[in-house]
Amino acid sequence: MTGPVVAGHETSSVPNSGPNSGDERWYQKAVFYEVLTRGFFDANNDGTGDLRGLTEKLDYLQWLGVDCLWLLPFYQSPLRDGGYDISDFFSVLPEYGDLADLVELVEQAHKRGMRVIADLVINHTSDQHPWFQESRQDKTNPKADWYVWNDDDQRFPEARIIFVDTERSNWSWDPVRQQYFWHRFFSHQPDLNFDNEEVQQAILDVVRFWLDLGLDGFRLDAVPYLFERDGTNGENLPETHDYLKRLRKEVEATHPNTVLLAEANQWPTDVVDYFGGGDECHMAFHFPLMPRMFMAVRREQRYPITEILAQTPDIPDGAQWGIFLRNHDELTLEMVTDEERDYMYTEYAKDPRMKRNIGIGRRFATLIDNDRRVSELLHGLLFSLPGSPILYYGDEIGMGDNIYLGDRDGVRTPMQWTPDRNAGFSKGDFAQLYLPPLMDPVYGYQSVNVEAGLRDPGSFLHWLQRTLRVRKQHSEVFGVGGFEVLSAENPSVLAFIRQRGEETILCVNNLSRFAQPVELQLGRFAGKTPVELFGRVPFPKVGELPYLLTLGGHGFYWFQLVDG
Amino acid sequence: MPSIPDDLLRRHVPRQRWYAGSEEPASLEIDAADLLREDWPLLLRLLVTADGICYQVLVGLRPEGEQLDFLRGHEDSALGSVDVDGEAARAYDATFDPELGLHLYWHVTGGDESAQRVRPIGVEQSNTSLVYDERFVLKLFRRLLPGANPEVEVTSALSRVGFPWVAEPLATESDHGFDLALVQPFLAGAVDGWALALTSLRDLFGVHDTQSMPVIDLSAPPPALDPAQAGGDFSGEARRLGETTALMHIAMADAFGQASGDGQEWADYIEAQARRALGDVVPALAILDELRLADPGPAIRAHGDYHLGQVMRTDAGWYVLDFEGEPDRPLEERQRPTSPLRDVAGMLRSLHYASAVALTERDGDEFDQPAAAWEARNRQAFLDGYLPVAAKGGILPADQASVDAVLAAFELEKAVYELSYERAHRPDWEHIPRTALRRLGVGLR
Repeated sequence: MTGPVVAGHETSSVPNSGPNSGDERWYQKAVFYEVLTRGFFDANNDGTGDLRGLTEKLDYLQWLGVDCLWLLPFYQSPLRDGGYDISDFFSVLPEYGDLADLVELVEQAHKRGMRVIADLVINHTSDQHPWFQESRQDKTNPKADWYVWNDDDQRFPEARIIFVDTERSNWSWDPVRQQYFWHRFFSHQPDLNFDNEEVQQAILDVVRFWLDLGLDGFRLDAVPYLFERDGTNGENLPETHDYLKRLRKEVEATHPNTVLLAEANQWPTDVVDYFGGGDECHMAFHFPLMPRMFMAVRREQRYPITEILAQTPDIPDGAQWGIFLRNHDELTLEMVTDEERDYMYTEYAKDPRMKRNIGIGRRFATLIDNDRRVSELLHGLLFSLPGSPILYYGDEIGMGDNIYLGDRDGVRTPMQWTPDRNAGFSKGDFAQLYLPPLMDPVYGYQSVNVEAGLRDPGSFLHWLQRTLRVRKQHSEVFGVGGFEVLSAENPSVLAFIRQRGEETILCVNNLSRFAQPVELQLGRFAGKTPVELFGRVPFPKVGELPYLLTLGGHGFYWFQLVDG
Repeated sequence: MPSIPDDLLRRHVPRQRWYAGSEEPASLEIDAADLLREDWPLLLRLLVTADGICYQVLVGLRPEGEQLDFLRGHEDSALGSVDVDGEAARAYDATFDPELGLHLYWHVTGGDESAQRVRPIGVEQSNTSLVYDERFVLKLFRRLLPGANPEVEVTSALSRVGFPWVAEPLATESDHGFDLALVQPFLAGAVDGWALALTSLRDLFGVHDTQSMPVIDLSAPPPALDPAQAGGDFSGEARRLGETTALMHIAMADAFGQASGDGQEWADYIEAQARRALGDVVPALAILDELRLADPGPAIRAHGDYHLGQVMRTDAGWYVLDFEGEPDRPLEERQRPTSPLRDVAGMLRSLHYASAVALTERDGDEFDQPAAAWEARNRQAFLDGYLPVAAKGGILPADQASVDAVLAAFELEKAVYELSYERAHRPDWEHIPRTALRRLGVGLR
């Protein structure tokens, strides 16, 4: 497979776990791919990516080994917050296409064994949403109680301000209604009032509408803040969990293979509450793991990773973590307890490079100085640690960023398909593009693009595709297998066992850039033979003595332990 | 009861790592013999006194002709052939026999049969440790001292007062007036501080390899290596280690009490050691005069042999190991209250050793400056972690000048000890304590 044209069907020897397989727990074994519709491919040459463009590139994603697309918000929106400010829950932003385009995308994806989930913001709407426009008119209209109104701006003082850079209060004055409205995020994003049963119903209607069109689930944005209660900080309230359980129940009754992925940027011990007893969200992001994977490589030692995994509670049967190296979200230090914040400050923020990066603004490749071996090591970890991996579009070819674009646009530049005009992303005028493609000497589209990656059999893109294929052959054990860190006297080596039923996988990672030896206590596996998963090469049989391995700088092994 | 002929023991004992002497003992006698297992393989525990020191010898016995695969590579652990009630048997160090290792665990824990697998831990001086299922460790004391073993005594006391960063004793065995064995939780996933410090230093020395180069300018000097900017910075670890150390000392004071220190006595003692080690060339030891004038602060029971190899980093934090003190010092000296800053000095010396040993891995003097910067940074970080917590715990001298004086004096003591040790065992490393002495104002020719 070295040509620029991707013909997906005959290239993948391992079928994706298809939507028709009837596997209700598909998300535990799936590889997710986060994609920005605006930035992926422009099918109508207007300079902005669209749903039809995405559909055209499904073969590429299938070849890569993606099981589920996660679309950033594509709803009608004034786009003052990247589409997270929805002004109509039931229509597609015209620049991206229409409902028919979405249905076509989902059908084509399903045909290829892939699923599609979408971002959904239920905590708030845009202030342009007709619901808010009606609600603000007076205190008696039918939607008067759909948002959180108050005569003064003093209520709920315990609730912190999340966007401290731009907002001074969680209350904003509305001159029309002559009252303050509540907003946990930007002042143009009024919070819906979930104490109102009609609002609860309306959101259920929204969810059903998109599931009926074929979507396979949602990433639920900002779920901890649905309710407000006096005397609380308004986060993780029991009422919020009750509503999410109701949502799960309603969804499951009609669309049993749906996944709900919670975005709760909290410490793992708090996030697990969003799994409920297995009756709330199916998945939740594991936020603190991400910076710690980078830190472990910087420190050349395993503790940043093993510490956070040791602090991660068990999750209910059927639940799953979503883990990632990069996405458009960030880890903020407000999200952690005092003790952990001290740790994070001393461990991360004192390093000016990490301080700049920890907020956001960098892509994967730039964070690791474009080091191919680190890239392979960290993806190896992402695919073997407990959880379902989530890739961010463009990272598979090592795209860079443009920090001069400001805010989060630096990591949202057009996908680089070819070395041709506009990176092959659009045939429109360069001046028309929603953002300029990267053109710098290291990450510019002239050298970093999908076509080059496909033509070069030694490219990272090919490596990633092969690795995902290997993972898919063992997706059960990697997805839901037990996880146990092995003792190693060498602090640069992270070795762990994944185990599920009869299958045992041994993963050994060298976090140092120097070659390292390690002796592992594998006595309980005595008599088994470690078979390396990429080449199926049998290694010497495990005996009673410590098992010696040597690893190249940033090297890693995946072994299956087989009898005999 | 099988008996082991004296001549076998006479040959076996001096070849063991835990033997204190350097040649065959002039005198050797068996003080006690207990048969800990009466079925094959037999397990026999002997308490043997050789040249006045008592040792615990664990002898395994299997009928002649049985395979002893576990002894492969440990030929010094075989004792030879003995007669057991008319049957010929092979005698060997029982700690290498997995079956007897499990039996020892059962024996010491008073009947716990849950252990599945056992493995010995590598190199140790005066003990032998066996690890069970990566969950528990059984420490067998080999060189025996009458009365309470400090390891048992201190870990028990620290656990009792709620100090969490020590592996609490789960079971102990005492007999014939000796502490013989101790079971503790095994610190899974732990790495000793020495290995972590060297990882940090090697990362620092390799930083050049990973810097981007916007233009080629062969005349430009390479950028300075700054440990604060290096990815493998150790200072966060060093600071937390300092905090844990202070908490350990506060717990020690809590468990064993505290008395007023005697700066005069400490200074005299250090001076005597320095004179013994350095001979007549000792210049004026101004540092000791400062100690004599300073507020010495309290004296407490301390760790006694505190360095990076005695602390283990785990997922939860730093743990402290090995409270036996320097095994070559007499027991009552090890138990005598001293300044907690003596332990601090030990750790500061250990940080210097780490940076110096990492330098020995490299040729040339390219890394002298970054190594010195690494040491200075982590020394400061350790003290930044230690001093505020210790001050709050009331275990420090009253003023900073006194703290500095006491600390410097104990660094001198340690460096003097190191110098004697390196001269006798590792002449290649003699420059390390010499550097330290020079810094402390003791220039040696």
